[in-house]
Amino acid sequence: MMETTVAPVRKQIDISCTPEHAFATFTDGINDWWPLAVHSIGGTDATRAVIEARSGGRIYEVSSAGDESLWGTVLECDPPNRLVFSWHPGTDPSTPTEVEIRFEATDAGTRVELEHRNWDRLGARAASTRESYDSGWVGVLAAYERAVA
Amino acid sequence: MVTKAPDKILDALGDGTRRAIVERLRSGPRSVAQLHAGLGVSRPAVSKHLRLMKEAGLVTDRPIGTQRFYQLNLEELAKLQAWVDRFWDTALDRFKKAAEARPPRKEKS
Repeated sequence: MMETTVAPVRKQIDISCTPEHAFATFTDGINDWWPLAVHSIGGTDATRAVIEARSGGRIYEVSSAGDESLWGTVLECDPPNRLVFSWHPGTDPSTPTEVEIRFEATDAGTRVELEHRNWDRLGARAASTRESYDSGWVGVLAAYERAVA
Repeated sequence: MVTKAPDKILDALGDGTRRAIVERLRSGPRSVAQLHAGLGVSRPAVSKHLRLMKEAGLVTDRPIGTQRFYQLNLEELAKLQAWVDRFWDTALDRFKKAAEARPPRKEKS
């Protein structure tokens, strides 16, 4: 039997840089890597993303008109080791999932581990935010995958 | 191939009663009567929820004797996970490239 309804998603990558640099790139440097045009609520209208790297900081995107759309909130910020944030891009912030990023120094650089969890909470908002999913992240993700395929 | 979001699964989970049913099914197949007990909704309502969950692919059912037993469709639930999985693969790949492309620096900008 499964231990949870939907298991956490776990990812791990090794990066050839220091944990400090990895952490800074992930947070302050998010616009250097986050595929905003396709991984955002506004799609091509989204101009930048922001991670306020402090506990209670916001994670949001900014549209060309200057409107901000909240993706989540930083729950724990322990640079350069750990970042935990709630995650509800385009959806009801009262029932977020949760993402934890760990940065660990290795001989070759930094091991970055990601865990996206609390999927059971997603169900609570799934129906009401179906439209957001369709028009937002899902649609843009699909478009992106078509673009790079 | 594009990994599509499992919208039907998401929708099916978007209801407290149905999530309670999912919780009960985690430990194994249950009959409608077993699922109904203590749920706080009418038995026809439970059946209606189960029908929707079955249509969404969240559960499967099979008759045992005179009763119908429901169980979680783990394959479909795995699609939800696969979708998120794919999402982070893309983002992290770009993150790695950015971190390795930018010169390391001691202080934040």
